[in-house]
Amino acid sequence: MILIAFIACTVAALLLIAISHTATRMNLVCTAQAVLFTLITVYLLLFHAVPVDSFIIGNQYFFIDHFGIFEVLLTSVIFSFAAVYARGYVAGLLESGELEKGSLKLFYVAWTLLLLLIVLAFCSDNLALFWIFAELTTITSAILIATLSARENIDAAIKYIFVASVAMLFSFVGLIFLFETSRSALGSGTLNWTELMQHAAVFPPGMMVAATALVFIGFAAKSGIFPFHTWLPEAHAKAPSAVSAILSGVLLNVGIYGILRMFAIAHQNPAGATIAPLIGLFGVLTIGIAAISMLPQKNLKKLIAFSSVENMGILLIGIAVSTPLAIFWVLFHVMAHSLTKASLFFSAGILHRQYRSRVSADAIDEIRDVFRLQPLAAWGIILGGLAIIGMPPFPVFFSKFFILLGLGSISPLVLAAVLVLLFIAAVALGYFVITAFTQVTPPGTTPDIDRYPIPLSMKVPIVVLLCLAVILGLVFTSGEISFFNQIVAELRF
Amino acid sequence: MIDPAFIQGLIKILFVVVVITAAYIISTRNLLSLVSVYALQSLSLVLIALALYSIEGAPVLLAIAAITFASKVLIIPYFIATIQEKVRIRRDIEFHFLSPTTSLIISMGLMLVIYIALSKILAGTHARESFLFFGAVLGISLMLMGMMVTFSRKRAITKVLGYLTMENGVLLFGLFVTELPFIIEFLIIIDLVIVVLLTTILTVGIDSTLEDYHKRLHRFHLWEEEERP
Repeated sequence: MILIAFIACTVAALLLIAISHTATRMNLVCTAQAVLFTLITVYLLLFHAVPVDSFIIGNQYFFIDHFGIFEVLLTSVIFSFAAVYARGYVAGLLESGELEKGSLKLFYVAWTLLLLLIVLAFCSDNLALFWIFAELTTITSAILIATLSARENIDAAIKYIFVASVAMLFSFVGLIFLFETSRSALGSGTLNWTELMQHAAVFPPGMMVAATALVFIGFAAKSGIFPFHTWLPEAHAKAPSAVSAILSGVLLNVGIYGILRMFAIAHQNPAGATIAPLIGLFGVLTIGIAAISMLPQKNLKKLIAFSSVENMGILLIGIAVSTPLAIFWVLFHVMAHSLTKASLFFSAGILHRQYRSRVSADAIDEIRDVFRLQPLAAWGIILGGLAIIGMPPFPVFFSKFFILLGLGSISPLVLAAVLVLLFIAAVALGYFVITAFTQVTPPGTTPDIDRYPIPLSMKVPIVVLLCLAVILGLVFTSGEISFFNQIVAELRF
Repeated sequence: MIDPAFIQGLIKILFVVVVITAAYIISTRNLLSLVSVYALQSLSLVLIALALYSIEGAPVLLAIAAITFASKVLIIPYFIATIQEKVRIRRDIEFHFLSPTTSLIISMGLMLVIYIALSKILAGTHARESFLFFGAVLGISLMLMGMMVTFSRKRAITKVLGYLTMENGVLLFGLFVTELPFIIEFLIIIDLVIVVLLTTILTVGIDSTLEDYHKRLHRFHLWEEEERP
């Protein structure tokens, strides 16, 4: 029933997009769809016992537990804000000719489908089903990246498809292993997550290690983990900013969600002890590569993209620590990172519109007089930057703090290394902001840049998301804590 | 009923065909024959599935053979060949960093490593039986060889063929290691078709200038016409 509601919503949205002729109307439809998704999720949360029973969901291959509903809610909220933001942003793209009018419909159709596919992925009980939805999200988001009429966008999209799809095939082999493992242990094979969780303890550990490692490869590529992160900075930097926010705030979560679900199965088995250090190692390497790439970075959107890579590394470390407390803060970090990163990309999008260089999309951002021209975006970058490097009172501070505390109790040496790397990343962000934002036209000369008019619809999401982040950092309601605790309990950590 | 030993011999011959096609895909520079070789490789997979069906009798295998034949022997090669003809790329001489000879030597090494690794992992399961096991090894090797093609070639259309080879490897592996439910096989083929469609459309763009690209897309009716004001 609920799935039908989601699908019906999307079909209606697609039909409305097909008959509408203006960008604003298509955008309105997308916004309505995302808001409706949010409302349905809130309704489920308030009026139904979670995990929602299968009659209400409408299909036995799907389920909605606390983890799923948490991700769906986060996704719909970010999509709602991104859709509002896209209203002004896409209008700007159309005006400057960067987006052709003919591809507008394709853009919004892919947008609408992407939301549905992500939600269906989060509701899949069957891992193969989750796999196919995750794979389809790669394809739809690649369309979103490629719609801008620039050759670099097609390049970035193709790179994204190949890196992610090739890695996802390894995941599929991992799933075949998992299926065979369950078949040899239980008699009949299954890829049903709930069933696998029940019986994981009796699976042979050798096969489990192989299966988990292979599945990890695919979802690591989806979430931009070293060494499969190569697609991420380019795709994020080339995509329209509204799409970058979705890529970073929502799509990376799909990968982390897959890793966490798979690791939860391995955790029930002796294999978990072999896999955890491996995941931790990849986490540290990911943070390292991100921090070092951030240092010389001159392109704001790439800088923010690498910061996403860094945060995915932190999540992996939290998963590797695998105490209930660490998993609790991993979930919190997922939420905090998504909200903050979306807001950062929105601000960066405004600066991108203001200072877009005429030479190439990849040229150094020539930021000047930023406080005079775009004060809101400048403060958005400064506050968002402070939030993402983990300054109190922003929520990322707490999640980073407790995840690293968990790491410290396992290996103080690794903790020290990670702290140095995080410091480098913070310095890179700070250095960029200080050098870029202090460039002003010398007094006496007339500035040659005109202010780019920013519509209200592009400003509101930045402010609201930042406020939301601050509130999340300051207020911990008991409901929120028990909700996260329930997810941890359901994942059996 | 056909003699199982004969069928097993047949499967072994088909294995050799798969290896030869994979070696060809890795080393050739001629794009047109690449597609037909890929179709041949898929066809031998279909025959392997049919041969397995005649031994095991599971109807899933028949379904897999049918869908593989339709999608990978007919539709996808036809589609790629059409696109190729229109774009007129015949040769891919730009290798990123691996020359054909090195690739061949590396893939031989890979097969050996996979053989050793798999014999450890699969020890104790029924897939360890001699010829089933060799199918699994071949599947993973084919997959890694496809990956090598994907990452060592520059043209996107060759990359697509590398990806397709990888997927053939996954199918082979799945056939020999376990009996997957048909729906899963079906899903992966749907995914494959979409990936191929999208990447080839984008490929047309990458191998030409942007203005050309839009003109071409209009010609193929792959892009919407300018809307009414």
